[in-house]
Amino acid sequence: MSQHHDPEALNTPVFEADEPDESTRIPLQIEDWLTVIVMGLLALITFANVIARYFTDQSFAWTEEFSVFLMIVLALVAGSASVARNRQIRIEYFADSGSEKRQRALARFGALMVFVLFALIAVLSVRVVWDDFRFGETSPGIGIPQWWYTIWLPVFSTAIAGRALGLFIRRGRQP
Amino acid sequence: MIATLLFVAFVVMMLLGVPIGAALGLAGAACIALANPEAQWFGLLAVPQNFYAGLGKYPLLAIPMFVLVGSIFDRSGVAQRLVNFAIAIVGRGPGMLPMVAILVAMFLGGISGSGPANAAAVGAVMIAAMSRAGYPAAFSASVVGAAAATDILIPPSVAFIVYSVLVPGASVPALFAAGMVPGVLAGIALIVPTVWMARKHKMGAHESSLPRPPFWQSLREASWGLAAPILILGGMRAGWFTPTEAAVVAVFYGLFVGMVIHRTIRVRDLFVILRESGELSAVILLVVSLAGIFAFSLSTLGVIDPVTNAIVNSGLGEYGVLALLILMLITVGMFLDGVSIFLIFVPLLWPIVQHYQWDPVWFGVILTLKVALGQFTPPLAVNLMVSCRIAGVRMEDTVRWVGWMLFSMFLVMVAVIAWPDLATWLPRYLGY
Repeated sequence: MSQHHDPEALNTPVFEADEPDESTRIPLQIEDWLTVIVMGLLALITFANVIARYFTDQSFAWTEEFSVFLMIVLALVAGSASVARNRQIRIEYFADSGSEKRQRALARFGALMVFVLFALIAVLSVRVVWDDFRFGETSPGIGIPQWWYTIWLPVFSTAIAGRALGLFIRRGRQP
Repeated sequence: MIATLLFVAFVVMMLLGVPIGAALGLAGAACIALANPEAQWFGLLAVPQNFYAGLGKYPLLAIPMFVLVGSIFDRSGVAQRLVNFAIAIVGRGPGMLPMVAILVAMFLGGISGSGPANAAAVGAVMIAAMSRAGYPAAFSASVVGAAAATDILIPPSVAFIVYSVLVPGASVPALFAAGMVPGVLAGIALIVPTVWMARKHKMGAHESSLPRPPFWQSLREASWGLAAPILILGGMRAGWFTPTEAAVVAVFYGLFVGMVIHRTIRVRDLFVILRESGELSAVILLVVSLAGIFAFSLSTLGVIDPVTNAIVNSGLGEYGVLALLILMLITVGMFLDGVSIFLIFVPLLWPIVQHYQWDPVWFGVILTLKVALGQFTPPLAVNLMVSCRIAGVRMEDTVRWVGWMLFSMFLVMVAVIAWPDLATWLPRYLGY
């Protein structure tokens, strides 16, 4: 049978659903919705910029700064979901082989290290925000207070640390 | 002493399966603290600063956008129509379907920017078609995984964007242009052993009995897909848009084709598409930003220069050093993915590149070729993981087939080293 005359073959979506998420105390939908909104906004803003430049011969300089900010938010928010789902890039060769007990111990160790790092970043970045606030730093592009941007670093870093802690606890609980 | 600690801590953590980003960030932070015992808070304020600065770069925005393009074109129904069109051109016969898989993967490489997305799109269409024609599943998975590796060479490419952010002297358009010829050569290099193996092992016995799609009809149906790389690459070349903007234009073009023309994407699929591509981008971006901490600690410790001097004065000579680097990267590449390799090794290798005055664009193409090879070298082969999952085979089963393809593509890398013009001619000709 030729695939060519088979409309089914032409129009079947190619991606199967991923494995279902483990249940988490705080729903992952928070991060997922934020991710979808930020990704959508990033695409729309950049596209609007192209259109505007095409018709008016000028681009909005401020969109660049805002897009970069949105990208940072994306990395942190969607990164938080990826930590909870344990989808970080890592070397699985040794960690995912050997006895069940060893695998679980290494998974917990990995989650703990992520927790330590982001807890550290969360604490330290409070100081960065405080400096931005104290010295009245303004953003180079739009000229709004810099701490409006940096304040989100401790907030989302705490979220990532929390997700890592959640993963650490869940991996400890499994049979 | 501290530098040794940095590397030991980093390597041990990585081998234990700690996420690469976390291993980079923690090792970097530990060294900053040890190097600044007197400073306020042990100089650790540099950690969040470098984390933030590592992310806050406008060119990086092209990464989430090209990941989104890949995710959309995955579902847009373009791959199937391109396959039909390719079959209409090359015809039916032993070894033709694997060749079609490689050609379509190369063509999709001109739309999407990442290997695994390409393997998913081509694999979903080709692996079933090849199994109907009598090709063994492990062979089909090998072909698709290897073919998708040409994606990061053929522009647009996420790997080149990351490299460009790391290396000031190499612009994204120049790298994109430089990847074109080696990318096409890599594709041809894959076709040769593939067709030869198919004929030698008499695979695809049923293929010649399958009907050949009518040429004009399949051309018409494939035209929306055929126009996409022209829009993306042509638009960049004509100066209509930057790489990031080209990606966004491709996003909306892909959505239009998928939702209006081919009707394979429904409105509620948008949530999944945006969520998945957002998460995948975040995984990449987090490693990029955390590598910023690691690179900062490397630069403050001043370890790179002594190591560089030792290597440069080792008496190996320019090509000896290059051969050693490639040998090392191939070993590392069996365990590490491409973006991480760039982030860890480009800052380390950069002084060597400068010492020998290698062309940064040429060096970027060599590194990307190496990463492309790593994408289908077991045991850690991201493309093969995708294609094996679709084909339902274990990665071990592909070892028998990928060897020749790896060797053939390795020869392309040797050729680009021997004749740098293969990479540098096109960007020079285009004036980048």
